[in-house]
Amino acid sequence: MFKELDPILHSQLRLAVMSLLISVKEAEFTFIKEKTNSTAGNLSVQIQKLKDAGYIDVKKQFKDNYPQTLCSITKQGIKAFEEYVTNLQSYLGKGEK
Amino acid sequence: MSKENFSPEQSLQLIQSMINKAKDACHDTGIAAIMWGAVIAICSLVRLSELHFEYRLPFDIYLLTIVAVIPQIYFSVKEKKERKVKTYDDAFMDSLWLGFGICIFLMIFTTSVMYSQWNPVAGEYRKLTGTEFPFRLYEFNSSFFLLLYGLPTFVTGVSMKFKPMLWGGLLCWVSCVVTIYTPIKIDLILVALSSFFAWLVPGIIMEKEYRKAKRELTAANV
Repeated sequence: MFKELDPILHSQLRLAVMSLLISVKEAEFTFIKEKTNSTAGNLSVQIQKLKDAGYIDVKKQFKDNYPQTLCSITKQGIKAFEEYVTNLQSYLGKGEK
Repeated sequence: MSKENFSPEQSLQLIQSMINKAKDACHDTGIAAIMWGAVIAICSLVRLSELHFEYRLPFDIYLLTIVAVIPQIYFSVKEKKERKVKTYDDAFMDSLWLGFGICIFLMIFTTSVMYSQWNPVAGEYRKLTGTEFPFRLYEFNSSFFLLLYGLPTFVTGVSMKFKPMLWGGLLCWVSCVVTIYTPIKIDLILVALSSFFAWLVPGIIMEKEYRKAKRELTAANV
């Protein structure tokens, strides 16, 4: 019996954001935008969804008089991501039997 | 990038590619290592020439290490401003090298206090006996510093899987042991060699890799 994949994470852009953030301590919005090849508008919406789910933290501050948005993954986000990967592996027949 | 009905295989591929992209974005510059390697090597060699050719500069050459703190602060601030992403490694390295800097200054302070208390005793001995005191405290100075130089260098080498620094750190520790038994001129040569191989050479390699990665990223327009 396969577990249902987390709908919050099973979206290409949101999963890309989480995969980036899982490997770093924190990343700027512009960095995530660059690496995911997404538009600022779409990325903002998806980041907000991840934030609402409690998977990421978003910190807004000023750097050299310009607004800066820093994103980092939360403990809840790490747990959800790990569960998602485990479920993916079981779909692919690589998970625990 | 907005599809929601993609396969598990595509999901795994996406995760892998994003993790690799995050990894590729992280390259350290070698500027600070080059600068400190050069500064310590120059200080040691100038002090060696002062001892060997029996002259004194009008200032203490080791003051250069204090002057070098200014460009270090500039490089750190510049690097921090340019950094769009902070990895766990970055956070670890920052605190490791900051801790090392604090240890060096505490070591300078401690040894200065030791000398200020030791010199009158040695002077008194010279006055009473007419000979030099057989134990010379400054002979151990290099050993203490090499001991400290080795720690962050070795840890950086191991954690970054960067062999030049790993070997550099080990060289500092080997030199630390050797300098206990060698005269001060040899100590100074060993300190210069250690800073050359522990920081200057790895710094040049790191800087080359950083520039190469930057060129590749610009070319790929990622």
